[in-house]
Amino acid sequence: MTNRRAFEVLAMPHLDAAYNLARWLSRSPADAEDIVQEAMLRAYRAFDGARPETVKPWLMAIVRNCFRDHLGRAARVQPVPDAVLAEHHYEGPDPEMEAACSSDRRRLDELLARLPEDYRAVLVLREMEDMSYREIAQAAGIPIGTVMSRLARARALLKDHWPKDDWEAGR
Amino acid sequence: MTCPELLRMSAFLDGELEGAAATEAERHLTTCAECQGFAAAAAEIGDALRAPDARHTAPSLLRARVHKALDKEEGRPRSGFWTGMASGAGISAVAASLLAGLFLPPAAVGLSESVTRAHVRALSDGPRIEVASSSHHTVKPWFAGRAPLAPPVGDFSAQGFPLIGGRMDKVAGRPAAVVVYGHGLHEIDLFVWEDRGGDLPPPGDKRGYHETFWRRGDLAFAAVSDVDSAELARFVDLVKAQKE
Repeated sequence: MTNRRAFEVLAMPHLDAAYNLARWLSRSPADAEDIVQEAMLRAYRAFDGARPETVKPWLMAIVRNCFRDHLGRAARVQPVPDAVLAEHHYEGPDPEMEAACSSDRRRLDELLARLPEDYRAVLVLREMEDMSYREIAQAAGIPIGTVMSRLARARALLKDHWPKDDWEAGR
Repeated sequence: MTCPELLRMSAFLDGELEGAAATEAERHLTTCAECQGFAAAAAEIGDALRAPDARHTAPSLLRARVHKALDKEEGRPRSGFWTGMASGAGISAVAASLLAGLFLPPAAVGLSESVTRAHVRALSDGPRIEVASSSHHTVKPWFAGRAPLAPPVGDFSAQGFPLIGGRMDKVAGRPAAVVVYGHGLHEIDLFVWEDRGGDLPPPGDKRGYHETFWRRGDLAFAAVSDVDSAELARFVDLVKAQKE
């Protein structure tokens, strides 16, 4: 297999996972796209036919690094004058999507947004990507014990802000 | 967090505890109200995060952008094969079929698929040509030590199909000699392998490539190319008319 083909087979299937993580970290579709494109390119440059089971955590680690770089870059970018912004067409939230988007989903967005970024990342990798503590440790570059404590804290924080009726009144 | 067991409880709920630690956590859960509340909350949070609409999927435009960036990085124009992969939602299916093709025994893939796949593989990552020569006096002897058969190698440059060279490849798991001809900017792979009987696929198209199969004596042939099918038929007629 060429490197390209190996990459297509081993790494590209994780594009959704990469985007999902970038999206939850950046909370912006446009930023998430930039982050993922940069991450996939960096991954491709460094890719040397890794063992399949290590590709996803490795890719997630690159996405997080790109997110960090993106944050740094965004902080350095000069504010764009309003006049320039006005010339660009802003599509805003898609009304259909808005309608389909349940209030639960929006509430979840808000709750997760309040979590520190490090907690949000481990929670997304655990619950949405179904990754093991070991894989999350690789992805986040932290010890397994730290994965454990971040997840526990993330859940405890969410629990405190979670609308009570969901699991108390409802049961 | 006040109960000192909450940390371990979280790991237990994730199925990350084993043996005695898991047994202990389970026992603790039956007696600690705080941990019970935590477990219920964790389950609720997990359900919410695992709901189908909670996970974002990459927009198809992003997928295309990434493919384009990789193409650029790869430093060569994309071959037709990858174009399909860039077309949005098909990606996982294509990747899966690619994986299946890599790990399935070749016989299960089918002759037609096997030949096109070998052709595409050679075009996209080679080796396309292991012996490059426009002389059949060079190409034919090259196969002698490598193939369990002597493929007919002709010179059809006068008819517009110059000999380019040859390589060894596999068709449905069997060694095949491939004689490579050119036609304009296109390439035609002529696969030749030992015929073991069985039906040959009818002429047809696979992912934009035309294939024609036939047999002669104890050899089986397949011509594969993206030239138009009339030109491929003309080429096949030339090969068939060739003297032994």
